[in-house]
Parts: sequence; structure tokens; C-alpha cells
Amino acid sequence: MVEKEIIELLLQKDEKGIDALLQHYGPLMRYIMTPILPNPQDREDCLSEVTLRIWDKAELFNGQRGSWNAWLTAITRNTALNHKRNLSRHNSLEEIPENTPSSEPTPEDIMIQQERQAAIRRALQQLSERDQMLFYRKYYYLQSTAQIASELGMTERAVEGKLYRLKKRLRKILGGEAHE
Amino acid sequence: MNNQEWKSMNDQDFEAALGNCFAELPPENIVEEITPWKKAMSRILIGMALRALTLNFLCLNYILPAIGVVLSILGYRALRRENKWFRGCYILTGILGANFFPWLILNTTIIPDAYLSPTVNMIPSLFSLLLTLMEFIFLRSALRAVKEKAGLPPKVGGATALIFWYLLLCVLALLEYNGFIIPFVMIVGYILIIRHLFRLSKELDEAGYSVQAAPVRIPDKALVITLVSVLFIGCLCGYLFGGSYPMNWTQVSDTEHSKVEAIKADLLALGFPEYVLNDLKAEDIAACDGALQVITGVDDHPMNNGREITTQLGSGENRYTQTYTVYDVKELRITGVGVKVPGEKDKWIIFHHFLWTTDPGFYGTESVQLWPAYKNHPEAYLPGSEVTGRVLCDMDGKTYCAEYYSLGEQTFTSGDIIYGEQTKTDVFATFSLPPGSEHQRGYVAYSTVINRDEYILDSWVNYTHQKNPLQYPVKTAMKHRMTNFWNESVAFKTVQDALQF
Repeated sequence: MVEKEIIELLLQKDEKGIDALLQHYGPLMRYIMTPILPNPQDREDCLSEVTLRIWDKAELFNGQRGSWNAWLTAITRNTALNHKRNLSRHNSLEEIPENTPSSEPTPEDIMIQQERQAAIRRALQQLSERDQMLFYRKYYYLQSTAQIASELGMTERAVEGKLYRLKKRLRKILGGEAHE
Repeated sequence: MNNQEWKSMNDQDFEAALGNCFAELPPENIVEEITPWKKAMSRILIGMALRALTLNFLCLNYILPAIGVVLSILGYRALRRENKWFRGCYILTGILGANFFPWLILNTTIIPDAYLSPTVNMIPSLFSLLLTLMEFIFLRSALRAVKEKAGLPPKVGGATALIFWYLLLCVLALLEYNGFIIPFVMIVGYILIIRHLFRLSKELDEAGYSVQAAPVRIPDKALVITLVSVLFIGCLCGYLFGGSYPMNWTQVSDTEHSKVEAIKADLLALGFPEYVLNDLKAEDIAACDGALQVITGVDDHPMNNGREITTQLGSGENRYTQTYTVYDVKELRITGVGVKVPGEKDKWIIFHHFLWTTDPGFYGTESVQLWPAYKNHPEAYLPGSEVTGRVLCDMDGKTYCAEYYSLGEQTFTSGDIIYGEQTKTDVFATFSLPPGSEHQRGYVAYSTVINRDEYILDSWVNYTHQKNPLQYPVKTAMKHRMTNFWNESVAFKTVQDALQF
């Protein structure tokens, strides 16, 4: 079944779309979740959550902003990160004192965050395609050094070295020297 | 946010900032390339395509398959933990590489050409065919396993077609099929199969996310650099040390001719060139005992390409340009000597002597092909004694001699567009000259008996010299002469000389 048909089924709220989605894109979603949620049970729980979100939000997919794969990737990653946050919050619930200040960001924090994001995006564009790939693997897909090394045919040490130089370069582009 | 803020940020904050910078969808090229499957599978398929290419120019028939083998090894290496079939493919391509790369180095020496029989030379190719066939069978099972794991229907028609295609190729190779139509159909079929496999690989991109890339101890880059370095050093050593025959040079004794001095004096009196006579073995001089007549012919031959001269000739409407080649140096002197000796029937002993008057330049392999009178006119001349001869040179003021590396009849098949494929048997003398020597020289001699006195005596030699190392795979001068009758080669030059009377 091709991508278009799956999207169409999801938009029509046809349950066959869910089956097709899991059959065709299940491996992709699990691949993205694995570095974030190492526990297989957590991954399966999260997969149900992701599937539900895609079912609910399929109409928000806009092909002009990015591909279906990119959209699925983003939804899966964000859901997995939320799932992980919820899990750690749940695990440490009893330890949080009642008078703990809220962790919600202030409008000023949001503005700073947006400025930083824009600056890093501009800096990223100055990197080679290979370095960009390495950056996304590490900071977007949150892959471990071991996974990156295996998939790129490198040793872990070589990956660490490359990441160190990459960060140093980004700091330089962003205007700050490496913080030794 | 200004530079100062980035500067003041510690490593932890910087790391956190990098991790929180993603507000948009990831770029398309990143999403496409992130699967561990795509890179590995592309390498395998491109490797397969390159290994099947046979472009017989600029050594591409060796370079492209070598790149293909490396790509296949790297591709299977990444997938070797995925299932046992991919692991099998990895081991098979590893063996294929271990079989292929040493031969690439060996081909920079004269070993395959001079020491190994055609049957032995065929073994690596047959072994490669078998390994590749097994690899394709394993690949089919590996692709099926990946599809099954992803819950997709296990259809791998392209891989099955590839196995049958390869089986047919093996059959054609064993039958030594030389036609054009079937190979053309096979090429078209192969292109379609590879295209189909690329499409299958693309289809499997989704399933490929479930593939786990195997960790490596040696990075891909290091593996490739090591392999290229070993190949480069191996080939360099091959060219430097494996390009000539081992020759047993011994100093010529001053008393070598003491027992044949009288015969020598008679031959000199009949006009036998002294510089040739001094190089002969004592037994060859002894064979000329009682000589009745000596006939000599001397020619200097160029081993260089000469220089072209263009001149304007004629005048007015009859003016034309003439271009011809001038040889300022003629490096090789070939002297033909015929000695008539007494017997029931007229018997001639023929000597073909060569002498380098300047440095030969490159010291690779040399060969002398003999077309004796009894081969040129078998009805008129009968073979006498066996062909004999030796090579000599001067080093540090002393004269050294050696037996030819090989001297005798060689049967070979050569073919060209005009005469088609022919099997011939000729006498060849093969040898190498020592670098740093001077006045390199040698001769071949044989006797012939006149059966019918109606043809001239017509004896030929073809001297083939290796001018430079620019050839791959390395051929000896003799093999070059056997296979390249028309003498068009960068690395070799052949000159012909005849003694006719």
C-alpha cells in the first residue's frame, strides 16, 4: 500500500489505515523511539499513543511543510519525549515537595528559546551535509554514540571525536569560543 | 541573543540549547538518509553492478570490480548482524576479496604469465563465479528474511531472477560462448534485474528501520585506506621486483674457447664476424668444424619511436607534404650468420646474434622468436640439430653469460581479424637482462639440411623488447608476441630480421 492510500484512509477515519500505518511505518516509529525509550514495553505503550495522535491529527499533515516520513518522525519523537518525561515525573512524584515552583516556561524564556533555535538553525546551514546528519542523529534522533558508530561504519571513539569538533565549530559560528 | 551569551554558556547549557533547537520538521535529506538500511543496501547493489562491468580500457575491468568488491564488503558488514544470510554474504564477499585482491597484486608480476599454466590462472575466476553465485542465493534469502520480519509478503523476484541470470552466465562461460546476441540480451537482463533490486530496496526502506547495523572495530574509512595502501604497495613491489625472469649469470672463463681456437681461426678466415664468434659456446663453434663457407648479414634496428620529419616537396600545384620517421639511434644490431659445413647433404648452421649498442632502457623481459628455414620452406629444408644459444653481458669490465630462461618450442593460439584464430608452434628464447650491465647480447643457433635445392635459405628472428612497465596485467615479451602479432603496444616493441641467401 502506498503512502497516499494510507493517508487517505487515515483522513477518512478508516481503521484499515491504522493497520497499514503500523505495517508500513511501525519499524520507522520504533526506530525513532528506541534511543529515547530503551524499554520495549514503554515503546509499545508509546507506539499506541503515537498511533492515536496520528489518527487524531492526520488532517494537520501538510505535504508542503515536509514529507509524510518527516511528519511521522516529528510526531513520534515528540510523543516519545513526552512519554519519557511523564514516566520520569511519575517515578519521582513522591519526592517532589509541594512548594516546588512551576517548571512552565515564562514568555521571556520562550522568546530566548526561539532566538536560540533560529541562531542554531542558521549555524547548522553552514555545516556540511555529513556534519548536519551527525548533528541530527545526536540531538534530534537522540541516538547513542554506539548506534551512530554502527550505522555510519565508524568506531565510537571516532564518533565522539567528530561530535566534539562539531560542537566546537558550532560554538565558533555562533560567536562563542569553546568552553574548556 | 548576542555572542556574549553564547560565550558565557557552559558546556551543559550549550548541549541543552542544541537539544532544544528543533521547532520544525527535520530536513528531507536527513529523514531520507537516516535508515541504517539504505546506505548499506545501496553499497551492496552498486557493488554488484560494478563487479559485473567489464570495460576493457584504462584497466577499468579491474578497477571497477575492485571498487565493487569493497562496496559489497562494507554493505554486508553493516548488515551482518541482521540475519544469518547477510552474515553469509559478508563472509562470502570477504573470501571473494581475499581471492581477488592478491591477484590484482600478482598481475603486476610476470608470475601468472610466466609460471602458472592457463588452467591454474583460471582457478581464481571459477572460484569467484562460484562465490558470487552463492552470494546471490544468500542475498535472496536475506531479503526474504527482512521482508518477513517487517510483516511484508516475502516476494523477492528480482533476486531470484539474478540467481538464474548468473547460472546462465556460468553456463555460457563454461561453454566458452563467443557470440554477440546472448551476451547483449544478458546485459539488458542484468540492467533490468539491478533496477528491480534497487526498487525492492526502496520498498524495503520502511522495513529497513527494523534492521540493526552491526558495530565495527575498524571504521569503513580506515578499512578502505588500509586496503588501498596494501594494494598500492603490493603493486609497486610487483612492478619493481616481479617483472623479470630469474637468470643465473656466471663469469665467462678466459679458457672457454681454448679447445676450438683452430676452428675459430678458420671461421674468421672465412669471414665470420669476430664479435659474434667470441660469444658462441665452445660446442657451437665445434659444430662448425670444417666449415666450407660463411655468409653474413648485419642490420641495425631502432627500438625507439624515432622523430617525424615533415618536408615540402615539389612546386606550384604539384607541391605536397611528405612526413617520414627518422631514427637517430638504432639500438639493436642483429647479425645473421650462415655456416656451410661438410656432410652427405648440404648442411648449414644458422646463427642469429643480437647486440645492444646502447642501454636497453627498461629491464623487463625479452624474447626472441625464431622462424627457422625448415619451418618457412619445410619441403626444401629439414631440421638438423636442436636450437641452442645463450645471453651475455659485460659488468665491471668482466663478461658474464647465462642460459636463456627458456629456449624451446611453444604452442600458442593467436587471432586477428584478417587470419582468424590460429594455433602455431614456434621456437622462443626468453630472458631478462641485468640492470647496470653493458653490451647485452646473445644468439640462437640451429642447423638445417637442404632437401631440395630450389628455395633460398630464409631464416627469421623477431626480437621483442619491453620498453617500459606500462602494462596491466603484466605480460612477458613472449606472451605479448604470441598474442599481439601486429606489435601495437605501449610497453613492447618487436623488430624483425632475416638471413636470406
